[in-house]
Formats: sequence, structure tokens, C-alpha cells
Amino acid sequence: MTRSRAAVWCVAAALGCLAMPRSLTAHHGTLVSYDRDKAWTAKAVVTEFRYVNPHAQLYFDVKDKDHSGHWSGELLANPAQLIASGWTRKRSTELLKAGTAITVTVAPARAGGMVVLVMRILNDTGEELLGAAAPPGAAPRPVP
Amino acid sequence: MAVSRTAIALFAVISVAIVVPAAAQDQGRAAGPGQSAGAPPGRGRAAGPGYPKFFDSSMPFQPRDLAGIWTPNGNGFGGGGRCRDCGDRGFSMEFPVFTPAGQAAFDRNVPSYGRAKDSDDAKAHPEEHIGRRRAQPPALGNDTYGSCNPMGMPRAALYPDPVELIVLPDRILQHFQWGYGLRTIWMDGRKLPAPEDIDVARWWGYAVGRWDGNTLVVESTGYDERTWIDHFGYPHSDEMVLQERYTRINYDTIELKMTLTDPKYYAKPWTSETKRMHLLPKTFVQSSGWTGLLEDLCAPANELEFNRLIRDPAGTGKPTEPGEAR
Repeated sequence: MTRSRAAVWCVAAALGCLAMPRSLTAHHGTLVSYDRDKAWTAKAVVTEFRYVNPHAQLYFDVKDKDHSGHWSGELLANPAQLIASGWTRKRSTELLKAGTAITVTVAPARAGGMVVLVMRILNDTGEELLGAAAPPGAAPRPVP
Repeated sequence: MAVSRTAIALFAVISVAIVVPAAAQDQGRAAGPGQSAGAPPGRGRAAGPGYPKFFDSSMPFQPRDLAGIWTPNGNGFGGGGRCRDCGDRGFSMEFPVFTPAGQAAFDRNVPSYGRAKDSDDAKAHPEEHIGRRRAQPPALGNDTYGSCNPMGMPRAALYPDPVELIVLPDRILQHFQWGYGLRTIWMDGRKLPAPEDIDVARWWGYAVGRWDGNTLVVESTGYDERTWIDHFGYPHSDEMVLQERYTRINYDTIELKMTLTDPKYYAKPWTSETKRMHLLPKTFVQSSGWTGLLEDLCAPANELEFNRLIRDPAGTGKPTEPGEAR
């Protein structure tokens, strides 16, 4: 990956997407299973959000002509990482409860099928979910 | 306490700038929710060093005092990648020299990290050893870690999660956050067992330590051959002897240099680059209002379910295998 291409991605991160630090990969290497160059975006409805190890998972339905179906999505983040970004279990599961309308950007599995890597989630007001921002009023962590 | 509040406040603005060069170095790119360098400000991070900077490195320290929570992670807490000056997750960029048996073992291992096998990306980097350019989806791989087996050493030391060094009178314990793995380094003067005396190989090996000046020298052997040197799938035999040299170079930094000697698999000793880790206050790692290392356990109950629902369908394109209802 070229430096300029990385820079483009990271500018996108600064604008509301998320940036991946060095060497960040799923802990058992699932990133190689997905083709991020073929990412697609669609409106979807959450059927289930699982706040679990080793990776949080999002299940959702899409009804557009190109990607219609029930999808299983892997987030690279695990609960520890989500907590560190301010996305506690309560906050996350409330905002992604079944029936929630979202817009997802995902990378398909290279092998095909109905499993994807979830790269971005927006709610119906355009707010980024499970993103980098701390919740409003989040207290700073204690330091010695 | 040497944390600059001003620097902390600046973190949110500058963090993206930190990520750009790091991502370029290691195939990183925007990935997804929760995978961010932009965690809440006020957590002690500051722009500059590429790791959570809580302490003034120039503060006085005892060079033989290694106790504490140390992290090679750019975010500190785990998840995410290694910090900029910590060295990468590979053992070494130096090309290993395999024996025929070592080459065969290397070829048997199918890792899922590095550049995708046969990809344009892999072909574009001939300067890297093929071990870094042969990744396959984990559903098609054979990393025993994918079913929650212990990483062993030196792989655990390369994983970008914190490790707590617990110093007792006769031993030092390395408590790795990932996997909640515990390794004992005996400091009581005992010798390593001879290869013929090892009844049972261990996932975490047999390790002894001694001081060479202010450097802790750890030698270990007797590792289960199913562990890998690093996540690129470099193998080791039951004859591997690993030497680790830990040197606290300032208040908040330990340097680690490693050499593995394994005449069955490697024609000459293989030496790592210098790896580094940085001191964290114990209050940094926090979950559920509870500070200290996370129980970042690779639990088979979680892992096998994940493999069934996500990993295997993603790697094979086949529908999810039936199983218990989620």
C-alpha cells in the first residue's frame, strides 16, 4: 500500500470514519478474508448486535437490488477496544437494537457468501456508531 | 506524575497525523468500528511518541526494577497495533536460514498474517521474506492459536497487548493480557533442563533468568513445537533455545533483543530487531470501572462460535454450519 493511499484512508478517518493503527488486524488474522477494495454501502436494518469476544458481530438485513439478503458482519473490534473508545455495552446495544435502521459500509469476503467485514455504521441521522468519538461528557480516565 | 494535560488535550487533534505513517508502514488502512487511534482524550495519550505517554522518561529509575504493566501497543490497552518504536509483530526482518527440516516445517505452516498469498501486494514486496507474504484466510490456515491454544514464546512477547511483570524473590512472572497467559522465569539459579531430560514440552517452555549488568537475560527451551515463532508462521523445533535480553533504558521503556538458536530447523542463530515496550500506570487499562489487566482470554466457547458464524464462512464462502442457536 502506498503512502499516499494510506494518507487518503486516514483523511477519511479524520472526517468521521476510523483509522487503523499499525499492524492492526483481527487477532486471528481474519482481515485477509475480506476484500476491502470492493467495499459497498447500503441501507440496512439490524437484526442482532453481539457485544462479544473475540469480535463484536452485527447481523442485518438489506433489501436493495444489489445486496439483498441477511448478512453476518464481523467488526475487528472486541469489547475491550469498544470500551476504550467510549462504546460501552449498554450504549452500543441500545443504539444497535434489533429493528434499528442503519447505513453500513462493508467489505465482502473474498470467498463470497453472506459474511462481511463491517467498516462503518451510521444511524438514520447520520451519526457514526461504534466510532472513535467519546460519548458526550465522557469522564477522563484517572491517571496517577 | 509527568503527564502533560495540555499534551493530552492535543491528542485528539494530532492522533490522525500519527496514524498516517504508521499505516503506510504496515498495510494499515481504515478498517472499522472500534479500530481507532482516536480514543477519548483525557486518557493519558499525547501526540509524539506513538504510544501512551504517561511518564517523563528522564525521571530516575532503578534499572533492575522491571515490575509493572508494560505495553508495546500504540493504544496502550491492547487491540490495535504495536507502537511506532516498539518494532513490528514479526520476530525479525532478517531472512532466516532454514535447514531442510526447518524449510519443511515452515512450508507446513499456513499463517493468516502478512500480505495475502499470491496477491499483487505480495509480489510487490520481494524485499520481504516469503514468510511475510503468504497469508491465507484463517479458515484455510493451521494456526493452533486460532482455536485458543497458547501462543508461547517469543510470539506472546510480540503480540501488541500489555504484559505485567510481577517480580518475586525467586522468579519473575510475565502475565500476558492476551490469553491471560502466565510464564514463569526462574531466578533461583537453576539450570535449563537438558533436551533429553524434558519429559513434557510446554506451551510456555522452561525459562531461567539472570542479571548481566543491568540486563535481564532469559534463556528458555522445551517449547511445544505447535507454537510459532511469530504470527507469520515461522516454526521452531523442540531443540530451540531462546535468549531474551531485557534492558530498562529509561523510566518508561524496556528494550528487548532476542536470539533463537535451533540447529534442527535453523542453520544459524536468528536475531530479532530491538523491540520496545512502555510503562503504563495500572489505572490505564480499565473495563467495567475496574483497573488492571483485562481478562482478554481466548475462550474456546467464544472462539469456536465465532469460527462457526464468521471466520469459516468468510474464508470458504460456504454457508454457516448449523450449531446451537445464537
